[in-house]
Amino acid sequence: MRKGVLCILLLFLLTACDSTKTPAETQQEAETQFFAMNTRLSFTAYGEGAETAVSDAEEHIIHLETLWSVTDEESEIYALNHSHGEPVTVSPETAELISYAVKMAEQTNGALDPTIYPVLYEWGFTTGAHRVPSDEELSDKLACVGYGQIELNERTARLPEGVQIDLGAVAKGYAGDLITAQMKEQGIRSALLNLGGNIQVIGAKPDGSLWRVGLRDPFTQGSFGVLEVSDCAVVTSGGYQKNFTDEAGIIYHHILDPATGKPANNGLASVTVISNEGRMCDALSTALFVMGTDRASSYWRESGSFEMVLVDENGLIYVTEGIEHHFSLTTEYASAEVTIIRKQQSERTQ
Amino acid sequence: MNRRKANDSHSWSKTLIGLCSILLLCGIVGVCLGLRQAGQTTVQICQDGSVLYSIDLASAEDQQIEICYENRTNVVEIANGRIRMAAAECPDQLCVQMGELNHAAMPIVCLPNHLTIQFAEMESDMDTVAR
Repeated sequence: MRKGVLCILLLFLLTACDSTKTPAETQQEAETQFFAMNTRLSFTAYGEGAETAVSDAEEHIIHLETLWSVTDEESEIYALNHSHGEPVTVSPETAELISYAVKMAEQTNGALDPTIYPVLYEWGFTTGAHRVPSDEELSDKLACVGYGQIELNERTARLPEGVQIDLGAVAKGYAGDLITAQMKEQGIRSALLNLGGNIQVIGAKPDGSLWRVGLRDPFTQGSFGVLEVSDCAVVTSGGYQKNFTDEAGIIYHHILDPATGKPANNGLASVTVISNEGRMCDALSTALFVMGTDRASSYWRESGSFEMVLVDENGLIYVTEGIEHHFSLTTEYASAEVTIIRKQQSERTQ
Repeated sequence: MNRRKANDSHSWSKTLIGLCSILLLCGIVGVCLGLRQAGQTTVQICQDGSVLYSIDLASAEDQQIEICYENRTNVVEIANGRIRMAAAECPDQLCVQMGELNHAAMPIVCLPNHLTIQFAEMESDMDTVAR
């Protein structure tokens, strides 16, 4: 009996000695944090080669920024925006990005439009010199807006005089996809990529459990919900991300409706999109925000290639059925009303 | 003789069990303390990837720290064991609006001035926050 007790105690002791390090935690972990693409990025990778993978990823992002910046005079997008109607040869990455942005503009019927840049500039969202443009000024600038004007023939792009593009609504997502592919090629099976709040995860956590991704509450600094996911991207857009208040106390946010040139005002406070592709999440989170709850729900029913979590201006939460069982409310929002959006349009409230 | 041997073995077992129990208790207390102190109250103020300050909020005095970046200044304030961006010479003021640092997964970031305030390490129920 005593020997038995002794053995159990010794076993406990041996276990306790190593309790702070599970086999998963002994995996190599590497992290980098840096500023690029007008945001803060942090990459954490696990396993053999993690150090090289995050270092290569940072280098890759810096390279992409040199291609896609709208303000860097050396970038390909800057060259295109200042080409006065002349064709410009771009890199394969930039051609792919432009092509994807145009494709998403077509699919969303212009709710996302990369040629909105001159209007965005007028509002001062790209420079920090915020102002409310007059209706006349907006009308002038909107005359140059329209994704159909973008010409792309393999690696040659052309914009008519006066038309300018900003690929900011898809660039971080596409960059996340490129980094994910690169890390996977390098043998990384577990990683967490945060591109300024755009989340992309490779595999599950090193211990095999799902990544817990918080969703920012659009009304406070907290999180209203958590998604448990693996191998996917999670991207949120909301009016709280960039905005300014005028002298009358009116708040203007940066997600412009290409139809009006004004901040989108279709009843949504934030949109989170979950899919296998970061670029799709990035593009759709903006486009669905512009569409509003009803159009976004219809788009989701027709598409079927992504899931979403919407928060409207009244604080009501909408979750599509495909992600329902991976979503939970945080303790602070446990009593919030959640509506499940179903394919069959028979909605129910939790 | 046999009884003495049995008594010796009995006493040796008792001592060993006692020792093991003490070691086990110490181990548990140590692990708990280690987890509690593992950077839960230590914050880092970083600029462009470099840690400028590492401060334990549990013992830090109330203070204001001024940090410059390209002739623009941020003021970080520590008061009553809490930390926030009190002022920032930047156009959007998002870092000031974020208020106090509350969550490991959501650092305070001043993008224009490349400044970040974050917990050094903290047990959290989330790995990150999409925003």
